Amino acid sequence: MSNNGAGDVPLLEGKNLTRVYPDGDVQALRGVSLKVGAGESVAITGPSGCGKSTLLSLLGGLDLPTSGEVAFQGVPLKQTDLDAYRASRIGFVFQSFYLLPTLSALENVQVPMFEANWSRSERTARAEGLLREVGLSHRLSQYPSRLSVGERQRVAIARALANEPTLLLADEPTGNLDSVSQAEVLELLARLRRERHLTLVVVTHSPDVAAWADRVIKLRDGKIVDGV
Amino acid sequence: MHFTTLILRNLFRRGVRTVLTVVGLSIGIAAVVTLLGIAWGFERSFLAINESKGIDLMVVRAGVSDKLTSNLDESVADSLRKVPGVKDVAGSLMDTVSFEEANLVSVLINGWEPGSLLFHGIRVVKGRTLERGDTKDAMLGSVLATNLGKKVGDELKVAGEPFHVIGIFESESLFENGGLIIPRTQLQKMMGREGNVTGFVVKAQKPDRPFIEEVRKRIEAAVPGVAAVPARDYVQGDIRIRLVKSMAWATSAIALILGSVGVLNTMMMTVFERTTEIGLLRALGWRRKRVLALIIGEAFALGGAGAILGVILGYAGVNVLSRLPASSGFVSSHLPPEVIVVGIVLGMGLSLLGGLYPALRGASLQPTEALRHE
Repeated sequence: MSNNGAGDVPLLEGKNLTRVYPDGDVQALRGVSLKVGAGESVAITGPSGCGKSTLLSLLGGLDLPTSGEVAFQGVPLKQTDLDAYRASRIGFVFQSFYLLPTLSALENVQVPMFEANWSRSERTARAEGLLREVGLSHRLSQYPSRLSVGERQRVAIARALANEPTLLLADEPTGNLDSVSQAEVLELLARLRRERHLTLVVVTHSPDVAAWADRVIKLRDGKIVDGV
Repeated sequence: MHFTTLILRNLFRRGVRTVLTVVGLSIGIAAVVTLLGIAWGFERSFLAINESKGIDLMVVRAGVSDKLTSNLDESVADSLRKVPGVKDVAGSLMDTVSFEEANLVSVLINGWEPGSLLFHGIRVVKGRTLERGDTKDAMLGSVLATNLGKKVGDELKVAGEPFHVIGIFESESLFENGGLIIPRTQLQKMMGREGNVTGFVVKAQKPDRPFIEEVRKRIEAAVPGVAAVPARDYVQGDIRIRLVKSMAWATSAIALILGSVGVLNTMMMTVFERTTEIGLLRALGWRRKRVLALIIGEAFALGGAGAILGVILGYAGVNVLSRLPASSGFVSSHLPPEVIVVGIVLGMGLSLLGGLYPALRGASLQPTEALRHE
C-alpha cells in the first residue's frame, strides 16, 4: 500500500466501522477497518448483501457509521463538512450512471460544478475538456437516451471528475456494461488514474475488475475476510 | 448551463402536468384579477364622480347603512349653505331603474337640478344638457345610450314613463356613463319622494383636508340628523363597494387555495418521482439549500407562468365583461396596475407556499436512502 506522502497518514481510512440499520435491525458492517493510500486502486468484492455498498457510502460521506470512524487525509469525516467533502474531494460513479435525462452530456457533467465557484463559461469549458478526456467530444449535445450504455458511463465518469477530486469511488461501474464497454471503461479509469494521480475504490462483483485493481478487499457478512 | 436551465428542463420533463398546474393556478389568478379589477374599478368609478365635480363632502342621513336609502328634506340645502366654509351645495336624488327589454337591471338614475355643481365633469357629446324648465327630458350616459340603442331625439320609457332624449354625455365615472340624468323634480314625482333627496354634495371653499374636516364638523354641529363624510371615505364606506370587495376577496381566496394545492400536489409528485435524482445531487455534493433552491425554483417558475397567464386571462375577462351590455355599465376595461401586481405577487407567493413543503422534504432526504429509492 502506498501512502499520500504525509508520513504514514493514508488518504482514506476506515476504523472499526459498523453500520446497523434500525428499521430491519440489519447489521450491514461489523467492525471493518481499512486504509487506502494515495494513488492506489482498491477493489472491494464479496457476495450480495455483504456490506460492500454500505462501506462505499461510509467512505464517501453519504452515510455515517453507527460506530467507528472514517478519516480523509487523517481528518475524521465527523469533523468535516460532508457536502464540501463530496463536492470537492471525491467523485462518485454508479452502476446505473444516474445521468439526468433532461440534460445533455455537456450539461450533465456541469451538475456538480454548481458547488464550485466557477463561472458559467468556465463550467462549460471544463465540461467540454472532461468529455474530450473521456473520448466523447463528438457527443457533447447528446441526451443520455441517445448514448450507448458505455458512453453513458463515460459521461458519468467525466461528471465524477468535475471538481477535480483526488478520490474516485465507484459502485459496480461496469455492472450494466457489455464486455467491450467494460474493457473500455476500465481502460479509461486506468488512464485517468495514471494521468490525474487518482485514488480509486471500486465495489465490484466482477473478477475482471477485481483483477484490474492493485489490491482486493473481500467482504463477507459485514466483515473483511481477506485483503486488508 | 445556468441553474435556471436545470429548473426549466425539469418542468418540461412532465410537460402536460406542468401545463395543467399552470392552467389551474392561472384560473385562480384570473379570478383574482377579474374580481378585484371589477371591485377596484367600481371604487375608482365612484371616486371619479366626486373628483370630476370637485366634491369635498357628502351629506346623508346619519346612521343609514346603505347610503342609497338615505332620505333628507331638500330644504336642508339652505342650512348647509349657511355653514361657514361651504362654497356650494347640490341635492341629489339617486335611484335605480331597469330596462328589461335591453336586459339592463339596476341602471343608475340621477335626479339633478339643472345648472347645479353635479353637472361639473359631465361632457355633452351630443345634443344638449338639462336646463331649467325641462320636464320629461333625459340625458343618457354614452354606455347606456349604446346599450339601449338610443340617440338624441328618441323617446325612452323610464319606469313606464316616456322621456325625451335630449343629450348624450360622457363622464369620467363608468356609473354615470352607464346611467341617466333627469330633472330632480321629475324623479321625485316618479319615486313618490317629493321634496326629498338622497343626500347633498358639498364643495368647500378650500380643498385642503384640515379645512374640509373643519367644515365637516361644523355641518354636523349645525344640521341635526345628518352625517357629513369626506368624499373618499364615503365611497370606501359604501356598502356595495365593501360587499363587492369582500365577495371578490372571498371568491379569489377559494380559487387561489385550489391553485396552490395544485402546485403542492405537482411538487410533491415531482419530489417523490425524483427521489433518486435528489439523492444523486446530494451525492455529488449539492448542499441541502441548493436542492431546496432547485425545487422552490421549479415551484416559483410554475407560479410565475401561472401568474402571467392568469393576468392575461383576467385582463381578457374584464375586457369581455366591459363589452357585455349587462355589465358594461359598471365594469371598466381598464385594469388598475395595483390589481396586476396583486395577481403576480399572489401567484408567486402561493407557488412558494405550495413548493415549500416538498422542497424541505426533498432537501432533507438522506443521500443513501434516496439513491436506493426506485
